[in-house]
Amino acid sequence: MPCPYSRLSPRAYPEEFAMRIAHYLNQFFGGIGAEEHAGKELEVRDGAVGPGRLLESLLGNDARIVLTLVCGDNYAVEHQDEVTASVVEKVRHANVDLFVAGPCFDAGRYGMAAGALCRAVQAELSISVVTAMSEENPGVDLNRDALYIIDSGTSIANMRNVLDKMARLSRKLVTKEPIGLPHEEGYLRRGWLRDQLVEKKAATRLVDMLLAKMNGEPFESEMPPTAFAPIPMPAGVKNLSRAKLMLITDGGLVPKGNPDRIEGTAATRWGSYSIEGRDDLRAEDYEVSHGGYDTRFVQEDPDRLVPLDALREMEKNGVIGKLHDEFISTCGRSNPLSNTRRLGREMAAKIKRDGVDAVILTST
Amino acid sequence: MQLTLARHPVTDLRFDTPARLEGSILLIDRAELRRLVLEDESIVSVDFDIARPGERCRAGPIFDVIEPRAKAPGCGADFPGILGAPITAGIGTTHVLTGAAVSVLAEISPDPTRSATGRVLEMSGAPVEASEYSSLQHLIVIPHTKPGLPRQTLEKAYRLAGIRVAVEVARSAWNHLPTNLQTFEPVGPGEKGRDGRARVAYVGQIFSRQRKPAVDEPILYGANTDGMLPVMLHPDEWLDGAVVPSLHSWFGGTETYFYQNHPIILELYQRHQAREINFVGTVATIAGSDNFDRERHCRAAANLVKWNLNADGAVLSKYGGGLPHADLAETARLLEGMGIKTSVMVSDVSRDRRVESALLFNVPEVDAIVYNGGNGKQWEVPRVDRIIAATPEFTELLAGPMTIDASNIVGITNQQGASRMRAMVY
Repeated sequence: MPCPYSRLSPRAYPEEFAMRIAHYLNQFFGGIGAEEHAGKELEVRDGAVGPGRLLESLLGNDARIVLTLVCGDNYAVEHQDEVTASVVEKVRHANVDLFVAGPCFDAGRYGMAAGALCRAVQAELSISVVTAMSEENPGVDLNRDALYIIDSGTSIANMRNVLDKMARLSRKLVTKEPIGLPHEEGYLRRGWLRDQLVEKKAATRLVDMLLAKMNGEPFESEMPPTAFAPIPMPAGVKNLSRAKLMLITDGGLVPKGNPDRIEGTAATRWGSYSIEGRDDLRAEDYEVSHGGYDTRFVQEDPDRLVPLDALREMEKNGVIGKLHDEFISTCGRSNPLSNTRRLGREMAAKIKRDGVDAVILTST
Repeated sequence: MQLTLARHPVTDLRFDTPARLEGSILLIDRAELRRLVLEDESIVSVDFDIARPGERCRAGPIFDVIEPRAKAPGCGADFPGILGAPITAGIGTTHVLTGAAVSVLAEISPDPTRSATGRVLEMSGAPVEASEYSSLQHLIVIPHTKPGLPRQTLEKAYRLAGIRVAVEVARSAWNHLPTNLQTFEPVGPGEKGRDGRARVAYVGQIFSRQRKPAVDEPILYGANTDGMLPVMLHPDEWLDGAVVPSLHSWFGGTETYFYQNHPIILELYQRHQAREINFVGTVATIAGSDNFDRERHCRAAANLVKWNLNADGAVLSKYGGGLPHADLAETARLLEGMGIKTSVMVSDVSRDRRVESALLFNVPEVDAIVYNGGNGKQWEVPRVDRIIAATPEFTELLAGPMTIDASNIVGITNQQGASRMRAMVY
């Protein structure tokens, strides 16, 4: 006889809610075999397979893995588009609430496939997705900003623990409960910020952190250091007297009226403006769209920001070959990297198209 | 130096004559305040209003929030260097109307490229738990300035109106016995009896020279910081009117109220009184406009902490926009190089909410960072019963219902350490 109190268990779902799940596994966890079967094509099974059975039981009685998709690691990576399209279609028809992939531990190809599939299912079907990998898995950095990836570590012996975290997070995602922080839920840091009221005001945290540091106690900075891949120094200009130079500024100098409507904060646009036939930028022709510095001096004389006058002189004296007929301008104030990367790429494309050899960047 | 804060709790504000304090009710004489404010030729008329905690009321844009405080007769000048001679602040008794605030409205937006509304004061609804200002009784000062004045003239008029009114209303407490007398234990590099306690200093930026200050812009004892090098201040000087925010920075998250109740200084005082630390003093500094300036200021500030305060550790805060983060980090780096441990507090600058956009420096030694939030939180706020604004345009703009960014609510993105809003990494 079933226990009459079973619905009061902590795993109980709201009113008669039965969660339907699709699960993706590689050939190893799908029970086909090891590396020699990595070329195996995608196959579909009804119900739970391998780790899926444990996941199902951890999720509770009212959760069902209705579909398991199994694919060889090599096949999945080598035929990624085909496998992705096929998985998305099968998941769509299965009418599920959740898509789970892995856990993948440190298996690189498995992680890459799981990440790509989770992204595609999430984007195209708008259902919750969860996967699990170790921090070093190459699938993590490609997908961490888009997915919840439970930190599985590298040891398969942790399977139960990992599946338990996946189950808890899945339940929250499907029932749209608020998701806690990485250390609370066990997922890998996604690289996003969200605002939250905390118990202690900033001044208290500041002094607490200093005292912990001075006492040699552990402390956690509220922001991890930002590391960027080094940008190699380009080769020097061989012969400046033959080179075509261009001026670019992020100081927000624009023609009067700001024709490209370049924003004075976090600019999403840039402009290219003719200086053909001019030896000097006149104050009455320009304005500054930038709210982050004292613009009065540039407004008085725009050459202070875009030194056309000096470069014309160098052009006449043969120090440089030619000054390009246009300068580029945008506003660098409070601009996030996701935005400035695009602006930079667009400018670089134009510079290349225009046959420019060297650029002088002036900032404020 | 020995500052005594004579605290008089205020639980209600009302307009009446004559001005007086009756128990915890502050009665305010509008005509008298009007005469005082109109001494400034830039202001043609002025209105006053009251906003109470929990009231369905919204006011903005807020130029400044000030705690009503008045020096006891014979104890020195209020806001020395601005309202009086630049004699040392932080000595003798200052009467404080605890629980009250004087909040000055502006007729313009502080920075139209970032916010049309400026910062608003919300007295009800969800945002109130995030701003300490929502729990205060506010006397709202609404100055109307002469048309066509340059921006800095307007702003200076707002500043003076606010602090004059705040001092004047606090004088009602002169003949009353305070409920509480607050004094602080002596602080200084040579204080005895604190051997073995960590020697901790505070380094606070008070201006960012991203913008050249106006000639008559009052910041430190009325001076505009031109030619200034970092200077040691006694903590009581900060609390007692030596420093006010600059004129242009009212979108940055510094208000006079939190100089008077400086969260970092009060925190250090509390640890000092608990014998947890030896609070040895503070340095007021400025952020440079270029690397040459930066080098000079950062080195001078670090040298004061090392050689004059002989500190083992320092907490640092910034002022202004993005650029001052560079000065903050460089000063901390120099201190770490001298063997002085540091923690720093920065503003939320990530506009795309990505961690990669969160920091404006990458200095391995600066590894203890407190990160304020506010760029990623919004509230849906309802239409309220009453809007207090200086112009019909702002009355309409602030009416609601609307979505309002946390950074547009005064008190949340605070650079003085008052906020509990934190951007969490996830």
